[in-house]
Amino acid sequence: MKCLVCNTDFMPKIDFLALFSPKKEKNSTMCPACWQKFHRLTGTRCPQCGREQEKSEICQDCQKWQRAYQGKILLNHAAYDYNAAFHDLMVSYKRYGDYILCQLLSELAKEDLVKLQFDYYVPVPTNPDHQQKRGYDTIWEIFNPLVPLTPLLLKKAGSGAQGEKNKKARMQAKQNFFLNPEFRGTITGKILLLDDIYTTGRTLYHARDMIWTAFPEVEIESFSISR
Amino acid sequence: MNEAISSKAGRQWLVDNLDHSTNQGQTAIPAVQKGCCQRCGSVCYARLPSGALYCRECVGLGRLDQGKYLVRQAASGTYPKQRGMTWTGQLRPAQAEVSQFLLEQFAKKKDCLVHAVTGAGKTEMIFPLLAEAFSQGKRAAIATPRIDVVNELFPRLSAAFGQIMVGCYHGKMEKEPAGEQLVICTTHQLMKYYQAFDLLIIDEVDSFPFAGSPQLHFAAQNAVKKTGSRVFLTATPPKDLEIAVKKGQLAEIRLKRRFHGGLLPIPKLDQYYRPFIGKKGLHPKLVKRIVQACQSGHPLLVFVPRISEIPIYLDLLKKEKGLAELKMAGVYAEDPDRLEKVQAFREGKLDLLVTTTILERGVTFKHVWVIIVAADDRIYQTSSLVQIAGRVGRDKDDQTGLVLFCYHYYTRQIQQAVKQIKEMNR
Repeated sequence: MKCLVCNTDFMPKIDFLALFSPKKEKNSTMCPACWQKFHRLTGTRCPQCGREQEKSEICQDCQKWQRAYQGKILLNHAAYDYNAAFHDLMVSYKRYGDYILCQLLSELAKEDLVKLQFDYYVPVPTNPDHQQKRGYDTIWEIFNPLVPLTPLLLKKAGSGAQGEKNKKARMQAKQNFFLNPEFRGTITGKILLLDDIYTTGRTLYHARDMIWTAFPEVEIESFSISR
Repeated sequence: MNEAISSKAGRQWLVDNLDHSTNQGQTAIPAVQKGCCQRCGSVCYARLPSGALYCRECVGLGRLDQGKYLVRQAASGTYPKQRGMTWTGQLRPAQAEVSQFLLEQFAKKKDCLVHAVTGAGKTEMIFPLLAEAFSQGKRAAIATPRIDVVNELFPRLSAAFGQIMVGCYHGKMEKEPAGEQLVICTTHQLMKYYQAFDLLIIDEVDSFPFAGSPQLHFAAQNAVKKTGSRVFLTATPPKDLEIAVKKGQLAEIRLKRRFHGGLLPIPKLDQYYRPFIGKKGLHPKLVKRIVQACQSGHPLLVFVPRISEIPIYLDLLKKEKGLAELKMAGVYAEDPDRLEKVQAFREGKLDLLVTTTILERGVTFKHVWVIIVAADDRIYQTSSLVQIAGRVGRDKDDQTGLVLFCYHYYTRQIQQAVKQIKEMNR
């Protein structure tokens, strides 16, 4: 098999359990050497956003949100550290438009995401201009194979990408989401917002704000592949 | 510069569709034909949700999708016929011989391979060839796989050809092309050209990523005019070029002596049975070798196979009593202080530098000696070993020195490297 990241040939691991089990697991799309470059978030972390840190107290970013939202902090589940390997992967996937990497991102998200049971899975929407240019919706394509998605939110055209701003500009970004007019019906139960990267939290909090304008009662948490 | 030359002469670029009329001198072709990328020649296998194929291999230059088009600007117009050379230096007899050979082959439009030992002064040998090409109003490019080499060549060639427009392109700079008569660029940049050059010189052909990349070879073929010719420069010719020489497709010339006339240092071989890093620290014999080298007063480069091993070796070396007074550091490709550390080592402010193959070529340190730890690691190709050995004895006042290969298994690469060096010394 060819590794999607470094393009070298590798032998997928074969274990007997997988060989004889009726459920066929799909082979990994990445070689063991590349797997090692990704760092699972374990150890002591911020209990709210999942960031790895020395103490298991609420991190400074989350304290700011706590103040801004009168204690209504968003609980975020994160799987991987946003390190150089993850950064390079996202550059290829989002900037260069290397679509096939969505398979790999799905694989990274899978293990943690399947453990989270929610009534609705709402992907964070992407800019329609970018979507048009790339030929795909970056977030939708990652999560679509894993969970049933509900397109509750849309993003305004012409709004800039968070990835190109510095921290201050990110925090000052305006609400760019709106409710999908094609979505009818009501929502009861729990929603999990899905995104690729949690940096400042700005995007996910905006997404939650917008959902709460229509459904103030629902419980909302979020999942990001990296933090 | 002649106004007849478009700034886009010989370039190719992607467009989404053909609804605008193509200008004069431009042709457009479907970007993917028979499942192959027309920019880098790869077989496309990845598909977008729309079902269109796209090329992953050259995705960094802008994604090439099935349904898009490559527009190619013809290399029209000619440059003023002038040699343009402001270099006044003298070639040594051995260099002049190679230079003469290149001129003859260029007149015959034959591709050539220059197999010259490390430290032979390859760059100067191509000056007369470039001057000849410019005197005929022709366009030339020098491409190399490494950005550092591009950055080193550009000032040298700008100075040597003061009357010629020289362009410098690599992936770490955003620059619009200006149709320069001489282009110095990375081999990746060649993908942006189509039948642009009458003469294409590729330096360090054996080096990563050009060696072993079919995409870059495809680009190097496409960037030259059908009537143009190519020159490959290397100290360690890759297999495919050796085969081309045997088949007669390529004319080869060898330059066996360094510019100072001395021989290449022959590597000493040192076999180990126990691991280099044991329970009690470094292998005592390895320590002894390093101490001996350092006591001789020579700066020492210690090559290790992987970046992750640099700090391990560095820590263990610092603990050794015999080396306590030495100043040492480690340097690797993405090291933020890479340039500073290399400069400090060059100036003698560091005695020992632990490094990886990033310092295998393109660098000169006076009086340096080298030790390769784990020379049997698969990361060391024959060419890497020859290049590393070639760091030693480059100064005309100090033509010899220690090259030590430490290994457990005697590999084919080690054997070939020693054989090649001895052959060039004959």
